[in-house]
Amino acid sequence: MRAARGARDLVFWVICGIALLLVVLPSLAIIFSLLQQAWPALTLHLLTATTAQHGLQNAILGTLVLAFGVLVLAGPIGILGGIYLAEFARPRQGSWIRLGYETLAGVPSIVVGFVAYIVLDIQFHWGFSLLAGILALTAIILPYVVKTTELALRQVPTTLRDAAAALGLSRLTALRTAVLPPAVPGIASGLVVAMAIAIGETAPLLYTVGFSDSNPSLQLFQHPMGYLTYVVFLNTTLPTALDHEVAAAAGLVLIGFLLVLIGIGRLVGRLAARNSASMPG
Amino acid sequence: MRPKSFVTRLSRAALLLGVAALVLTAFGTTVAVAKAKKVDKKAKPVALQTGNPSAPVTLEEAGSSLLYPYLQVLTPQLSTAYPNITLAPAAGGSGLGISDTIAKLVQLGGSDAYLAPELAVANPGVENIPIAVSAQAIDYYVPGAPSFLNLSGNVLAQIYEGKITNWNDPQLAALNPTVTLPNLAIVPVRRVDSSGDTFLFTSFLSATNSAWANGPSEGTTVTWPAVSSELTASGNPGMIQVCHATPGCVAYIGVSVEDTAIEDGLQEALVKNKAGKFLKPIHSTIEAAVAASTKTTPATLAQSLIYASGKNSYPIINFEYLMVQKQQSSAAVAEAIRTFLAWASSPTGGATSDNLSAVDFVALPTSVIPKVDAAIAKITG
Amino acid sequence: MIRTRGGAGGDAGPATHRPKLADQDLTGRDRLARGLFLVAALVPAGMLLFLAAEMIDQSIPAFIYSGLNFFTGQAFSFGNLYATTFSHHNGVTAPHGAVYGALPLIFGTLASSLLALAMALPVSVGAVLALTERIPYRLQSGLSVFLEILAGIPSVTYGFWGVLFLGPFLAHHVYPALSSVLGFIPPFKGPVGSGPGLLTTAVILAVMIVPIIAATTRELVRTVPVLAKEGALALGMTRYETVRVVTLPYVRRGIVAAAILGWARALGETMAVLLISGNLLGRLPANIYGPFSTIAATIVDLLDSALTDSTKMGIHALAALGCVLLVITVVTNMAARLIIRRATGNVVLPVGRGI
Repeated sequence: MRAARGARDLVFWVICGIALLLVVLPSLAIIFSLLQQAWPALTLHLLTATTAQHGLQNAILGTLVLAFGVLVLAGPIGILGGIYLAEFARPRQGSWIRLGYETLAGVPSIVVGFVAYIVLDIQFHWGFSLLAGILALTAIILPYVVKTTELALRQVPTTLRDAAAALGLSRLTALRTAVLPPAVPGIASGLVVAMAIAIGETAPLLYTVGFSDSNPSLQLFQHPMGYLTYVVFLNTTLPTALDHEVAAAAGLVLIGFLLVLIGIGRLVGRLAARNSASMPG
Repeated sequence: MRPKSFVTRLSRAALLLGVAALVLTAFGTTVAVAKAKKVDKKAKPVALQTGNPSAPVTLEEAGSSLLYPYLQVLTPQLSTAYPNITLAPAAGGSGLGISDTIAKLVQLGGSDAYLAPELAVANPGVENIPIAVSAQAIDYYVPGAPSFLNLSGNVLAQIYEGKITNWNDPQLAALNPTVTLPNLAIVPVRRVDSSGDTFLFTSFLSATNSAWANGPSEGTTVTWPAVSSELTASGNPGMIQVCHATPGCVAYIGVSVEDTAIEDGLQEALVKNKAGKFLKPIHSTIEAAVAASTKTTPATLAQSLIYASGKNSYPIINFEYLMVQKQQSSAAVAEAIRTFLAWASSPTGGATSDNLSAVDFVALPTSVIPKVDAAIAKITG
Repeated sequence: MIRTRGGAGGDAGPATHRPKLADQDLTGRDRLARGLFLVAALVPAGMLLFLAAEMIDQSIPAFIYSGLNFFTGQAFSFGNLYATTFSHHNGVTAPHGAVYGALPLIFGTLASSLLALAMALPVSVGAVLALTERIPYRLQSGLSVFLEILAGIPSVTYGFWGVLFLGPFLAHHVYPALSSVLGFIPPFKGPVGSGPGLLTTAVILAVMIVPIIAATTRELVRTVPVLAKEGALALGMTRYETVRVVTLPYVRRGIVAAAILGWARALGETMAVLLISGNLLGRLPANIYGPFSTIAATIVDLLDSALTDSTKMGIHALAALGCVLLVITVVTNMAARLIIRRATGNVVLPVGRGI
């Protein structure tokens, strides 16, 4: 009887171990195949030439422009919204607002892209528009920024707010000096997640921003722009080995950006732990 | 303090929501109005005014993957001839070229297919402007079979209908009596994007097979009959990639990438023309077809050159069009477009025999040039 | 990822009413600021309403034209755009021969995502259990980096990997064996194709949704009271029995919700599916290896030609497809979050993708 139970225990954990391998192996396989495909193309040419010459310069710059644009637009709106939810909203009001952004989080990215294309690019005559692309990305990542801001603020002890009120500070000053600073690491971490999602999106940008072989012009309207995810998409469908190498290289650059963002997120998390350890409990 | 009623709170929330939506809409429409104002000018008929614009202008083009290699050849030469005009071509399929032109997302839409009649009615501001004549090849990949097998439109229609499923079918043997074809399943490959090549191919099938004409008919997208082994590809290069990886395949591929296809190991077929001869798309056969068809080109330049009569005429040829909006956003852009189009269609400009033969295209016939010029003259800004 | 931790005076209790500072303490500037914050908080809801309104508005002509056939019909075609005659149904004009039936697309969307879930769920739960119960703590954070990387890899990169590596590998080495072993079950029989198809897409989707299911499950497993587990071990249970008797019942409802979250992610996936599905339009896939398509992939695929339809019905038909997808994904997302909130109260959700 004991042996049977022991055997079952062993079998179960072997299966779980296999499951863990099945999770680890694909990510290793993907990174390995990307490296293997991209290897011949991994030269400085990628950074100095545009996609017209099988480089990635315009695409890298375009992705950075999109990330920055989304940060500038969705960042403040999301943070301010999160502040409202954490500091001012009454419970029922808060539930409705939360329902709003959680439902938005469930909208597929192609639907967002479709509406942005039909309404902004065509009906509003914006043409291929960087602003339309940024608005589409904003709709996709805004829920994440709002949610993480609210959570970060909720973790700030109420004693700080009480102390500020006792001192007679206005709510705004209290926010600025006492409540927001400890929450900044959490908020920053949320922004990092949002940007990681934004640089990986393709569907909402395909029809709204178009694609261009030249470096970004930073014009908000009537100008298409290149970005990395489109290069991966297009080159996967092309037949030559060189095209596949460029696609793999673009994929690697995207993963590189992702690792940088994950690194920033972890650094910020460590800063948060250090700060909260020194806060009055 | 009296607690506020639920209705008051709800109406306050709705008011704020409405304000937010109003602000967003107002912003959008202000921008839209600002853009629209630039376009609101009366078009005046002008003589063909061309020249190097005073400030740099970039002409965005998207569309046909059959035309794309030719535009790639033209781009650097255009910059040399007119330093302030830059052409930015892209592929994506003729349907995308037409869509983007209608939506004013690009200045030039590359298309192997002219505007559909109803689409032309719905969008009177868009015109078809051909700059060259191209053709379509039928390629296959049958290891063990020789190149230059004979194929006909009727047989191809049956293949894409699923009625002929194997390379050793009697109808194929009848077309190729001196060849023993292997027992290999036929894998038809079709374009999944909205494609001018699909338009040319389905026009050809409609002209040679009545069941196809009454069924799927012709178009940049059609309802393809259910064939279980059928594969899809995106763009001409995609067709090459899929066919190259699939023994038994047959695919329709534009001449401008035919060299790549042959290099990749695909085999070219000889296609049966209206007079019953089996031909491949080369300069002489395309020229013959053009000469036979273009006596009756309408002013709209929307003309099918498929299945032309004549002993030496290749059956699948077409005008390569650039779709343009007659009304452009500014005079400078309009001049740049006129300049580019006039240059591109002129034998002393872009349509040199070197450029054309690099992609196996043929020059526009001289009888068509005046109509092309008249169309170019209508582009104003 | 943000985690709540008890203590430090933080609000880690059940998410109910927190004492709010009284409103009459607000200065004029405070009220102005609050108004600004409220507008910002309403932007997501405003965007949502705008998206929904626009989708519904654009899709109405297609629903009227097709009627119930939209959900039961298999053929989907913009019609003959080069004809000069039109089709008329229920007062709506469409190109000659246009028919909008979404059954294969709805089937493809549901089938690929459910197959993916069936593969991803046991793997995620098993991996998390191995990670949290057996792997030494020091190695855990290293291995969880893989989860974060997997979660952040863009959909197109998965598509690239699928088209060039996984698809051909499965078609040449796995599917023939699968077909011979399971061939007596109709969907598993016969031609195994060259890669692009339903099963390959499901495998790729499974790899994509493992991170979100695993991350949520990991948070849930951490909430299991240590005392209960130690008690079980003290009674002489093996670790497997501890998991079966203590851990799993405790987190069962949460895992269901995590599964639904992962399923919702798979439903909305576009680019990877577009690259690896085979893009079949107008009928159901022949077997589990064969080409098919989903709603999202079809919208991207056909949007380039929607404007070449002079009646504009192409846009309406695609909007109708998008509406159906919108309803499906929103409902599943809401269901998942409702279940999680009721099951765990205060455990923080990894929002969306699991990083």
